[in-house]
Amino acid sequence: MSSDEHVRIFEVTTKDLEGLPDSRGENVRSMLKTDHGIKVDSVRVIMGYQVRSTISDAQAETLTYDLFADPVIEVATTGSRILDDFSDPPEMAIQIGFKPGVTDNSAQAGLDGLTTLFPEQKEARVATFRTYAFWGVQGTVSPSELATTLHNPMIERASVADRNGCSKGHWPELGFPDVPPNIFKEPTTIDLEVSDDELLEISERGLLALNLEEMKAIQGHYRDPAVRAERTEQGLQSDRPTDAELECLAQTWSEHCSHKIFAAKIRHVDKATDEDTTINSLFKTHIMQPTLDIQKEVDWLLSIFHDNSGVISWNDEWSVCIKAETHNSPSALDPFGGAITGIVGVNRDILGTGLGARPIANTDVFCFGPPDYSGTIPPGLFHPSRVFRGVHSGVRSGGNESGIPTVNGAIVFDERYIGKPLVFCGTVGIMPRTLADGRESHVKTPKPGDVVYMVGGRVGSDGIHGATFSSLELTEESPSSAVQIGDPITQKKMLDMILEARDEGLIQVITDNGAGGLSSSVGEMAELTGGAKLDLGQVPLKQAGLSSWEILVSESQERMTVGVRPDDCEKFETLAGLHEVEATPVGEFTDSGAFVVHHGQTPVAHLPIHFLFDGCPQLNLDSEWSPPTHLPVETPELDEEGMGKLLARLLARPNVASKEWWVRSYDHEVIAQSVIKPFCGTNHDAPGDAAVIAPIQGGTQGLVISNGIAPRYSDIDSYAMAAASVDEALRNAVCVGVDLDLIAGLDNFCWPDPIESSKTPDGRYKLAQLVRANRALDDVCRAYRLPCISGKDSMKNDAMMGGEKISVPPTLLFSLLGNHEDVRKAVSSDFKKPGDAIFLVGETHQELGASELAFMLRDEGSGGIGGAVPEIEPERNMTVYRALTSSMKSGLVSSAHDCSDGGLAVALAECCFGADSGASIDISPLQSDCSDLDDWGALFGESLGRILVSVRPSDKEAFEESMEGVCCHYLGLVSEGDAISVSRDGEKVLLGSMSEMRDSWKDTLHGGGP
Amino acid sequence: MTPRVAVLSGFGINCETETMAVFEMSGAHADRVHVNRLVNGDLDLSDYQILAIPGGFSFGDHLGSGRLMGNRLRFGLRDQVRGFVREGKPVIGICNGFQVLVKMGLLPGDEEVSLTQTASLALNDSGHYENRWATLEFDSKSPCIWTAGLERIRVPVRHGEGKFVTDDPTLMDKWAESGQLVARYVDPSNEYPSASDNILPYPISPNQSWRNVAGVCDPTGLVFGLMPHPEANHSTWLGATWTREDNEHGQGEGMAIFHNAVSHVMDA
Repeated sequence: MSSDEHVRIFEVTTKDLEGLPDSRGENVRSMLKTDHGIKVDSVRVIMGYQVRSTISDAQAETLTYDLFADPVIEVATTGSRILDDFSDPPEMAIQIGFKPGVTDNSAQAGLDGLTTLFPEQKEARVATFRTYAFWGVQGTVSPSELATTLHNPMIERASVADRNGCSKGHWPELGFPDVPPNIFKEPTTIDLEVSDDELLEISERGLLALNLEEMKAIQGHYRDPAVRAERTEQGLQSDRPTDAELECLAQTWSEHCSHKIFAAKIRHVDKATDEDTTINSLFKTHIMQPTLDIQKEVDWLLSIFHDNSGVISWNDEWSVCIKAETHNSPSALDPFGGAITGIVGVNRDILGTGLGARPIANTDVFCFGPPDYSGTIPPGLFHPSRVFRGVHSGVRSGGNESGIPTVNGAIVFDERYIGKPLVFCGTVGIMPRTLADGRESHVKTPKPGDVVYMVGGRVGSDGIHGATFSSLELTEESPSSAVQIGDPITQKKMLDMILEARDEGLIQVITDNGAGGLSSSVGEMAELTGGAKLDLGQVPLKQAGLSSWEILVSESQERMTVGVRPDDCEKFETLAGLHEVEATPVGEFTDSGAFVVHHGQTPVAHLPIHFLFDGCPQLNLDSEWSPPTHLPVETPELDEEGMGKLLARLLARPNVASKEWWVRSYDHEVIAQSVIKPFCGTNHDAPGDAAVIAPIQGGTQGLVISNGIAPRYSDIDSYAMAAASVDEALRNAVCVGVDLDLIAGLDNFCWPDPIESSKTPDGRYKLAQLVRANRALDDVCRAYRLPCISGKDSMKNDAMMGGEKISVPPTLLFSLLGNHEDVRKAVSSDFKKPGDAIFLVGETHQELGASELAFMLRDEGSGGIGGAVPEIEPERNMTVYRALTSSMKSGLVSSAHDCSDGGLAVALAECCFGADSGASIDISPLQSDCSDLDDWGALFGESLGRILVSVRPSDKEAFEESMEGVCCHYLGLVSEGDAISVSRDGEKVLLGSMSEMRDSWKDTLHGGGP
Repeated sequence: MTPRVAVLSGFGINCETETMAVFEMSGAHADRVHVNRLVNGDLDLSDYQILAIPGGFSFGDHLGSGRLMGNRLRFGLRDQVRGFVREGKPVIGICNGFQVLVKMGLLPGDEEVSLTQTASLALNDSGHYENRWATLEFDSKSPCIWTAGLERIRVPVRHGEGKFVTDDPTLMDKWAESGQLVARYVDPSNEYPSASDNILPYPISPNQSWRNVAGVCDPTGLVFGLMPHPEANHSTWLGATWTREDNEHGQGEGMAIFHNAVSHVMDA
């Protein structure tokens, strides 16, 4: 440390100018009111920078307005406190800063700016903090209560000044967040010649998440005389693993990385049918096999299941890929950090596909507890509204700052997501079919001798044990080291550089460093050449002193692992230098048959590739299905206006309500390709179904991206849940005119732990739910010729808090990527003109079980959710979908909107919102679909395969002809004025005001402020 | 001669692909130019006829949008940038690129090209980032070569910091007088021309910019910057409400701006 090094503090706030509010403060005021019911008259926010450097006073003067503050709209100080400058001193003041070691992106940018001005200050360090000053705080709220709303103690520190302190000018003050030095621990070995109980204890103590059988498999490996001989030769203790080896095995064999439950042998018993069968791997049987069978019939499935994302051919020049990941556990602990890390992480899956694909669209699907939840929140968990805001903010930053549009998504609410929110982040990528050097871009081409580079961020102690941690339930003791904050700009620079390197032919193999860090990324790629060696001593670190195993498994973000031919290394490093991206050679691919790790001269690990990837014993699990029972749905007696009001209440349910306030803050149009956007209609506020993008600027061929998710039905039957999810994704895609001959899917399962144990006595039932969901996926995907090309599962979505276990409802997110032949023919969901004819396509049945209406009526105090859940007839649906998309190609369809949550009634209202119109329909024709259909079933039932369509009066006849042979009912007309009116057999059954309905639909999830 | 356009990239700029595309669609040749290739001398800005600073999140918008990138240009490329402007070559900054031009003092700018910041783009009054469509109207008396002959276009805004302000209100009058406040948000339901100094209600004015300013030019009219994204409306099928309209498909409303600059160079 240089002798004249010192910490200097810069503070910045908004200048007092007429017409220039302190919007940051106003945001906080509005958030306190909306989320916490705390009223405050006014809030000011002061941005702070702590700079540890050797800069002079004169240099500090320059920095104040050339770097930290905007001279036109901000005022800044160095060496004094802005809190002293307010003529009316604040009543309370709170300062928030990061804990030592937590990623501070603003500080990183500040440091970059500092060295732009003073290049010699390479050793400087910057930290940021924010000070909040409050005036007119509601009586009983204490400063520490306010502070809890403004920071997350897991990653941030707070210092507060109460009324008394503020009156005396004793302001809050945080010190520089110095990271305590790491103490390097020499690699150790672990004796596995111990009792079974002790083996399990080793696993638990080390957060390894390995079961007894797996520990014994490892024990057995180190008893093998051949293994021992090889280890002696390598200079390693022959009869026991090193800490690094055990960690590496735990990461690779974790549920998160190796999907043990989907690979398990399951004995499935069905109490209702007396079925008793054995399933050898749900994944192979129900996900992979259907895709392999479809692959025999089509030529566009380029790369399935084995890479970071699945790749399909889009046309002769381009291929496209898609992947979705979940980031549930980290988002529960730190909603912002968990979510931003989730989105930038899945972007890397795309960048790591083949020889590198460019991410061009994100999708975000969240499942939260109800934002207005008023029950008690178990200790250790956040209120759902806070999780919502944090996750949204993380995904917004991650997507927007990376320049990737968020084109589609969904938000689902259920009380059981309070234990663990589900945060699904998906990305679509594009790459040229072949590179200039003739290689197909979806095929990795590593050879022994290629140099292993680590590119991007550095390795730190953050993110250790993410993979194993997410394979355990959430408890109060969950480690904060598993939480990270993504850095989109470091990643963006890396992405720019990697894609240039790809185009210059410099990349032979690439993968991302996600779960399991280098142990997984290098390990996985070593499988391709048959070996790799790695020197941890070469790996650049954020802070010195990390132990070998920590470097090996740390999941520090924004890193890719790339294989480069020795001849190309110089060019590769020059390119990295240009982009200011760190790229460091850390090893070499080999064909030695082993993953060999050294730390400098010290041998750290020697793991045979076959043992690492195939050594994990298969689980044997039991599954038992017996259908659950529920109270039936009870519907009230209502006149037509009562029904109109009920529809307005249904529209206000969080699951149905407009998400506009939140979705608007995602950039959904960067790259200038968004044809069908999240919003449509004359006021740009009606909900879109699927996204359509035209990724080649000026080109008219498009991609369709959609999602389906229907966890409610799991309460009755997870088969129906999975079938509904797949159908919803396809139905949405059909609404915009997808090309049904080029569609691919993605399955993301999020389940509660389905392994029977003392903590999970109902494990057999939960596993049976998984079996049924997989069977539905198999049946429906085959019928729709919709191959799953990639997927993911997250199987431990339980929280044990204060002795209470909360399990998520079994949830399948199905994402779809399809072709659009001509985006100029794409259709949006909004009605277009009064006088247009309204049709319902697809059959309606009396299916109100677990519908949104059933849940609403139950929540309002009557009945249960029991009854028939929507049954799927995929062949029949597909015939309807083919007829409708072909009619769209002929230009006969003006609007199309799918019937999902809330059924026909909700769809009808939403179509009117986009047109500022009313509608008048007659549901009598629906009775021909189903003899016992009542008004409730017709209006609010959620039968699958149905799309509400409108056509120009002049096209009515041609449309009807084009739909001949499939179920298509003429219902009525789009009308002038505000009335939405429904009749049956000449009798009015529902009447309401469109604008009143729209208001209630918009109000529920308004996030505060404008 | 086909004009060559330098489209800057790097450090979080992220609209370079579509910005290059719109210049190509306007008949120019566009290169993706990493800022550091100009700094290290690989490329020379004087070999180009047009400079474009695209949108994005340079340096993550930390420490204020556009500030760190502005500093890179102001300190690292000072002579190249000043030379380019003084030679009378067109420059455009879109969204984050506009923020960069304002923070580095090139906009609204002065005759001397002194690179002194006189205006800023503050946080939207809504306090957050938004993506929504707006209608822009152009000052027909402005010297701006980019907007010559244009009345109105519909374009998306995608920003959190787009409220145009200054700490010297007399400058607003001066800029208005010289036609520098060239692009303003207007209510599309009003007849053209309707640009007004009274701040329009949210969300017609998405950020509550002073005098509804969406974009400004320098005194010569060659340097132009705006918060909305004309390059995002390069084709009719990208409009917000195109499925409700019976127009023939082709180039979008945003393209005229780029055609103007390319013609300006070709006619020179």
